[in-house]
Amino acid sequence: MFTIACQEQLLPGETLQQKWEFAQAAGYDAVELRGKGDFAFRERLPELRGALADGVVMPTVCVDMLHFFGAFDEELRRDAVAQMKSQLSVIAELGGTGAQTPASYGMFSRRLPPFEPPRSEQEDREVLLTGLAEMGEHARREGVTLYLEPLNRYEDHMVNRLGQAVELIREVGLDSVRIGIDSYHMNIEETGPAAAILDAAPYIGHAQVSDSNRFQPGAGHLDWPAWLAALDSAGYTGPLALECRLTGDDPAEALRAVPPFLTRSAA
Amino acid sequence: MTPAPAPSASAASASPATTAPASAHAPASASAPEEGGETSLPANSRLSQAARRRLHRDARRVLLENWKGTSTVPSNSLYPHQWSWDSAFIAIGLRHLSASRAQRELETLLDAQWDDGRVPHIVFNPHVPLDAYFPGPDFWRSSSAGADAGAPRGVETSGIVQPPVHALAAWLVHRADPELSSRRGFLARVRPRLTAWHRYLADRRDLGGGGLAAVVHPWEPGMDNSPCWDGPLARIEPAAAGSFRRADLTHGAAADRPTDLDYGRYVRLAADYRDHGYRDAEAPHEFAVEDPSFNALLIASEHALASIVSELGDDPAPHRERAAALTAALVDRLWSPEAGQFLCRDLRAGVEPGEDRSGDEHPGGQLMQVRSVAGLLPLIAPDLPGHVVTALLETISGEHFGLGTHVRLVPSYDLRGPDFDPYRYWRGPAWFNVNWLLEQGLRRCGETERADALRTDVLVAADASRFAEYLDPYTGGGRGTRDFSWTAALALDLLKGRPEIESGPNSRPGYGSSTTDRPDLTAEHEEGP
Repeated sequence: MFTIACQEQLLPGETLQQKWEFAQAAGYDAVELRGKGDFAFRERLPELRGALADGVVMPTVCVDMLHFFGAFDEELRRDAVAQMKSQLSVIAELGGTGAQTPASYGMFSRRLPPFEPPRSEQEDREVLLTGLAEMGEHARREGVTLYLEPLNRYEDHMVNRLGQAVELIREVGLDSVRIGIDSYHMNIEETGPAAAILDAAPYIGHAQVSDSNRFQPGAGHLDWPAWLAALDSAGYTGPLALECRLTGDDPAEALRAVPPFLTRSAA
Repeated sequence: MTPAPAPSASAASASPATTAPASAHAPASASAPEEGGETSLPANSRLSQAARRRLHRDARRVLLENWKGTSTVPSNSLYPHQWSWDSAFIAIGLRHLSASRAQRELETLLDAQWDDGRVPHIVFNPHVPLDAYFPGPDFWRSSSAGADAGAPRGVETSGIVQPPVHALAAWLVHRADPELSSRRGFLARVRPRLTAWHRYLADRRDLGGGGLAAVVHPWEPGMDNSPCWDGPLARIEPAAAGSFRRADLTHGAAADRPTDLDYGRYVRLAADYRDHGYRDAEAPHEFAVEDPSFNALLIASEHALASIVSELGDDPAPHRERAAALTAALVDRLWSPEAGQFLCRDLRAGVEPGEDRSGDEHPGGQLMQVRSVAGLLPLIAPDLPGHVVTALLETISGEHFGLGTHVRLVPSYDLRGPDFDPYRYWRGPAWFNVNWLLEQGLRRCGETERADALRTDVLVAADASRFAEYLDPYTGGGRGTRDFSWTAALALDLLKGRPEIESGPNSRPGYGSSTTDRPDLTAEHEEGP
C-alpha cells in the first residue's frame, strides 16, 4: 500500500503546521517540501525543525529553481549541484528520504526551435554523469537518496524516459541515486507507462502524481488502476506525491478528492 | 520483463490449452485411485494475509507483463497471439486491474469478428513471424479463403471459433466500472457484435437441428484433446504426413503430444473447412459435436446479453427466451440421467463416410459415453431442472470427478476413465477456467461451503504453481507454462470479485445481485503458527 503526500504550496494555511492539519484531515500522510535556490531551503531550517517537532511528516523535497545540474552554463551547473547537496543535507537532518531534481527544466527542447542544442549528446551525458556522481556520493554520506526525474520532451532534452534514467543510474553505480517518476511526464513519453514501471522497477525511488493534463489525479484520462498496479507490482511502497495544478473554483475540494481517488484506484 | 516470444517457441495446435511445451512428463499410464480406496488429500490449505497480498501483487504483475498494448497474450513465452476464450477469461480478471484495459481486450477481439458473426479463435499479431505458430496465418488464410464468409481484410485470424464466453465477460467488465463503461460507450459498441456472434451460432451452427450450437473441430470447444473427441476423430481421414509441418514437437515430448495420426486429422478438418471458404452450409463438417460446456456458456452469455440490453434501455426478453430455449434443448439433447451428467452428442455417429445427411430434418447422432468435465459446467446455467442440479452436485464429488473427496480441483476428465492421464492437457489435468466456472456454478446453486472451499483451493494452487497453465489434479503440481494469463486473471477475480455470473436486473434474489461480498478468506483461513 502506498502513502500519499501533497506538495506544500498546494496546501492552504500560512505555516507548515496549518498545512499539515489540512493535509491530514484530507487524507494525506505526508507533505512534500519545495526547495528554492540561493540556499533558501537551508535558511528554512528553524521553521522546518519546528514543524518536525510538531509532528509534520516531511519525507522528501522537490527542487524549485530555474537552473539545474544539467545546465549548459558551467557556473549555473555548479550552483545547482551545490544547492542539491545542501537540500539533501537538510532533508537528511529532518529524517527524510531524499531530494528530487530533473536534469534541466525549460532550458532546451529538441521539439521546439532551434531544435539542435548547443551541446552534443556525449557532452550532455558526461555532464549528467559527473553531476549525478557528485550529488549521489553526497546523498550516500547523508544516508538519503537523490531522485532523478525524467521530464517530457518539451521541458527537457536529456532525460525523458525511465529507461534513460536507468541507464545513467547504472553507469553511476550508486544505490543513493534512484528515479523519481512522474505520471504526467510518463504519459507523454512512455510507450506503456505501466510496462515502463515494471522495466525500471528496481530503480524507482520516488513517485509524483498528476493526471494527463497536469491537473490532480482523477481530472484527466490516465489509466490510474494500471499505473498504480504496476507500481505495486514493482514493489514500490513509498509515497505518491501530489505535484499538479488544481481544477475548479475550490482548490481545497480538489485536494480532498485525491486521496480517496488514489486509494480506490490502487485497490 | 519477459522477452518477446522467439520463433522457436512455436506452438502446435489451435489453443493455448493444448500447445504448452510439456515439462516433466508422466508415464502414459498414470494411475487413478485404487478401487474403493480413498486417496488422501493434501493437508487442508490455508491462505494467510501475507499470501493473499503476494498473490494479488503477482497476479497483477502477470497481467501487466502479458499485456501487449491492445490485448493480452495467454503466455508471454509461448502464445504470441490473441485467443478468443482466453481473452474473455482474462478480461474477467483484468477488470480488477484496469477496467479500461479489460474493455479494450474484448473490443480488440471483437474488432476481428467476421461479417457472418463468427468470433475467430485466434487473432494473429502481424508482427510475429509466420513460422512462430502452426497453424498460422498462412495456413488459415482468412482474409482470402474466408472472404466470402466475411473475414476481415485488415487482420489475419483463424477460421474456427471457441466457446462464447464473451457476453458474460463484457457484462462483468461493465459492472467493474459502470461509469467508465458508460463514458466510453462500451456496452453500446459491443452489443451488436455480441448479438451477431450469438446469431451466427444459432443460424449457422445448429447442425443437429435440435436448437444447440455444434462444434466442427476438436479445438473449438477449447478442450482440445479431450477423450470425447477420440471417437469422432477416428473416422477422419488424416492429412498426408508430408503436407504440413508440426511445430509443437520442437519443445513438447512426442509422448505428451497428439500422435501424428491425430494431428493429421486436426489439419485435415481445418483444411477442409478452409477449402470450402469457411462457409458452414457447404463445408462437409465430418466432425460435428454438440458440447455441453460450449452451449452452457452460450446460455450464460445469453443471460448476460439480456442484462446488457436491459442496461441500455431495451427489451431483454428475446435474449431471455433464447436462453430458455437453449436450456431446454441442452437438457433434452445432452442430459444423461444414467450418467448423472451431461454428455457430448456426436452428430456424425452412424453416418457412413461420404454419406450426405444434410437433408435430414433431425440427424440426431448419439450421446458419447465419455465423462468430460464439460458435462458438469452447465451448472452455471441458471434455470436447470432441480433433479438435474441435484444429480450434477452429486456427480461432481462422486468417484468420477472426486471434488473435495479425491481431489481439490476438479479434473478435466473422469478419474476412473480408461484414458485418464493426470498430465496430458485435457485428458485429466485440472484447469483454472473450468474450476472458476464450477466455483461460480456451485455458489449460484447455494452450495456456499463447497464454493468457498473450491475458491480457496484454486487460489492456493494458483499461488503454489506460479500461475500454471494446468495442474495434476491429485498432487496440485503445476504443468505446462507458468505465468499463464487466465490463471492469474481468474485468481485475481476470486480474490477481488463477487459472485455475479447471473447478475443483472433479472437475476434471482440472493445471488448475483446480492450485496454480500465473498467471505474474507483471511478471517476463515488465517495461517496457523
